[in-house]
Amino acid sequence: MTTTRRNLLKFVGGGAAGALLTPAPWRLITDTALWSENWPGIPRPARGEIRARFTHCTLCPAGCAVRARCVNGQPVSLAGVKPHPISHGALCPWGIAGHHLPYHPARVRQGPVKEALAAVARALSQRGAGERVAVLDLRPGRTVSWTYRRAMAAMDGGLYLTPHQPAYAIDLAAAQTVVSFGAPLFDGWGTPGNVFAARANFRLVQIEPVETRTAALADVWLPIRPGTETAMAAALAGEITIAETARATGVEEEAIGALKEAIAGGPAVVLAADSASPLMSLNGKLHALGHTVVARREAPVPEAWKKAAPATEVIAAPDRAIRVLLIDESLPGGYVRWQEIQPKLAANAVVVVFSSTSEGYARHAQYVLPAPVYPEAAEDVGLAIDTVAAVFRIAAPLVAPVVPVVNPGELVARIAGLPQADPLRERANAIYKAGRGTLLSYADGKSTPAKEVTADDFWKTLNQGGCWMDDSGKNAAPGKLEFRAAGEPPRDDLPLTVVVAEMRRDGLESPLMSKLERESNLRLSANRVAISPADAHANGIENGGRCVLETACGRLNVVATIDAGVPAGVVEISRGPRMADLCGASQRARVVRA
Amino acid sequence: MIGGKTAFASGVLLALAGGWLAFPRILYETRPQPVNFSHKVHAEKAGAKCEDCHSFRDDGTYAGIPTLDKCSGCHTAAMGTTAEEKSFIDQYVTPNREPQWLSYAQQPENVYFSHIAHVKLGHLKCEQCHGNKGGTGTLRPYQWDPISGYSRDIWGRTLAPVALRTEGGMKMDDCVDCHRRQGLEYSCLGCHK
Repeated sequence: MTTTRRNLLKFVGGGAAGALLTPAPWRLITDTALWSENWPGIPRPARGEIRARFTHCTLCPAGCAVRARCVNGQPVSLAGVKPHPISHGALCPWGIAGHHLPYHPARVRQGPVKEALAAVARALSQRGAGERVAVLDLRPGRTVSWTYRRAMAAMDGGLYLTPHQPAYAIDLAAAQTVVSFGAPLFDGWGTPGNVFAARANFRLVQIEPVETRTAALADVWLPIRPGTETAMAAALAGEITIAETARATGVEEEAIGALKEAIAGGPAVVLAADSASPLMSLNGKLHALGHTVVARREAPVPEAWKKAAPATEVIAAPDRAIRVLLIDESLPGGYVRWQEIQPKLAANAVVVVFSSTSEGYARHAQYVLPAPVYPEAAEDVGLAIDTVAAVFRIAAPLVAPVVPVVNPGELVARIAGLPQADPLRERANAIYKAGRGTLLSYADGKSTPAKEVTADDFWKTLNQGGCWMDDSGKNAAPGKLEFRAAGEPPRDDLPLTVVVAEMRRDGLESPLMSKLERESNLRLSANRVAISPADAHANGIENGGRCVLETACGRLNVVATIDAGVPAGVVEISRGPRMADLCGASQRARVVRA
Repeated sequence: MIGGKTAFASGVLLALAGGWLAFPRILYETRPQPVNFSHKVHAEKAGAKCEDCHSFRDDGTYAGIPTLDKCSGCHTAAMGTTAEEKSFIDQYVTPNREPQWLSYAQQPENVYFSHIAHVKLGHLKCEQCHGNKGGTGTLRPYQWDPISGYSRDIWGRTLAPVALRTEGGMKMDDCVDCHRRQGLEYSCLGCHK
């Protein structure tokens, strides 16, 4: 055999063909793919001991029990805790991705703490007669809320302000029929696990103009004409006839009749998207008070705390009187429109906000101080609207604060001159001394009567993500229910009715959730509105086109989504702080091309 | 003509030899374990059971390879006169230094595997995935693939892209095959949480 160019090529060709019959090329393809997964710069959790730790989610008042899988003490994934009697092992998508929040790129990372304290001290010393100092607590019912109340009681002219707080809880397990006027029952309302656990026993009638996710999952969806919910409530209360209601609402007479029969047939509850809505007063007429709408119960507090300032709704505060306003926006909670707060401020008021985001009140405050985010801080959670029994659960921190943070409770206590103490420990001691209820330990799934454990074990279990739950007493009727008047009457220049499609949680969201939401547009993002094809055509608006949302309160640049599921005459919005400022009290709007 | 065929056949044969014989030796880097541990001695002489050292914690997580504390429980001083025992005491127990065991079954970070779900609920035997380690008198060398960064045990002993037996590896395909055979559910989020 002579070495010719042709033979050399044949040898190489044979080598290539032979190589294909060996593992080498195939294995190198796989290995190269795996190698690319481990390039420098790709985030990788540290290797180490894998342990489970327990805590409670504080991203909403539901306070679902959380089992965190930790590697070297660092949480890498979150899941629900099955034996929990309220959350039943469920976690919402925000809760599942909650451990990302401390590392959020848009987080408030620093703030002028010394300057803020000096400005507050100066304003307090210079305030005139009748000028007040106030704390606005967006998540009342926590132990730190009691610190704020005590601090305001200790200060001359102190006011403890809250958003509207329902004085009742909803006992879904006791309801046979749930009539929901746009309440997002399956989309963030109450405690998700509790709602789904009770789902098999109630029939849901969803009354709203748009087929939301809750409407799609309801037993019956009644597509009502926008803005005519009051007429439907009047029919259910027997104040107007079914025929009149059908004409006003556009809902068929048979459907209204069937709903009235269902309500008369067993325990029912009426829910509204806004807990302050007058529609909730229908519960009184349906004899739901004391049965499905019950008095809210709170865990015991130390006797000395009871001399605290009462909770005042922002709207009830005196006008132009607040010289110093401290806003605790550290946890997502209720939102009070800035248009309601502003008239209450004195001319040269100092506004300090504790927040992890620059989206909310940080837009209006002189000083924004970085607050801890979940799961950095040890705090209790408060009560969700569907939590009937009193509970006390501590969100045990899973990570140390990633940025230098200010503890809002400690700072307010310092300003008010309250003695240094550990309020959570004091509260836990008061609960223990009450000698009732049960202590749940998630690590071993044990439930022990509180009086059978020592005070130290009680505190230790709570700090390891345990939960105290009060004995289930008899449901009592709530006190006087207060509602706000309905929105303004229709205006010709604002032809569209505003419908809130997404009850967005204020505050940070995991970047993963933002990516899913904003890039996929599966959920209406904060700067989008959805309108019907007919309204879009009438106003020359294209899908994805820039436009302006106008209400009686102002204007906001938004992007339009044309959705055939939205009826004509309706604009769907996603409720974030900016939208709440724009549309909070206003139910009328128009969308025009930008 | 004959010369051309021979050249082609030589190329094929050379590539086959290289691919099947030389490639595995080049691909894997062999590393020794820190201690020449004998499962057999512990099982036969000390009467130890698998779960005595490879246990579940109270919270359900799996302890995996035991830490030095577990070994020190018995080996506070040398038990016997072998050189391995003396070396273990001198190098690890006395200075309280953790042996850096090389885990044959270490999975990538993006994989969530629950031992308790498979062992307690699925009644799987340890040997089914890890092989019969309990009767071995010495730890076999750890073979590491420096390109992918994983142990040879993850891929499986055979290098062939198509294996006659699917068992023996701990790749995603192996998990899926087993779940499929048992008629069990499998989805991305089951392991990649």
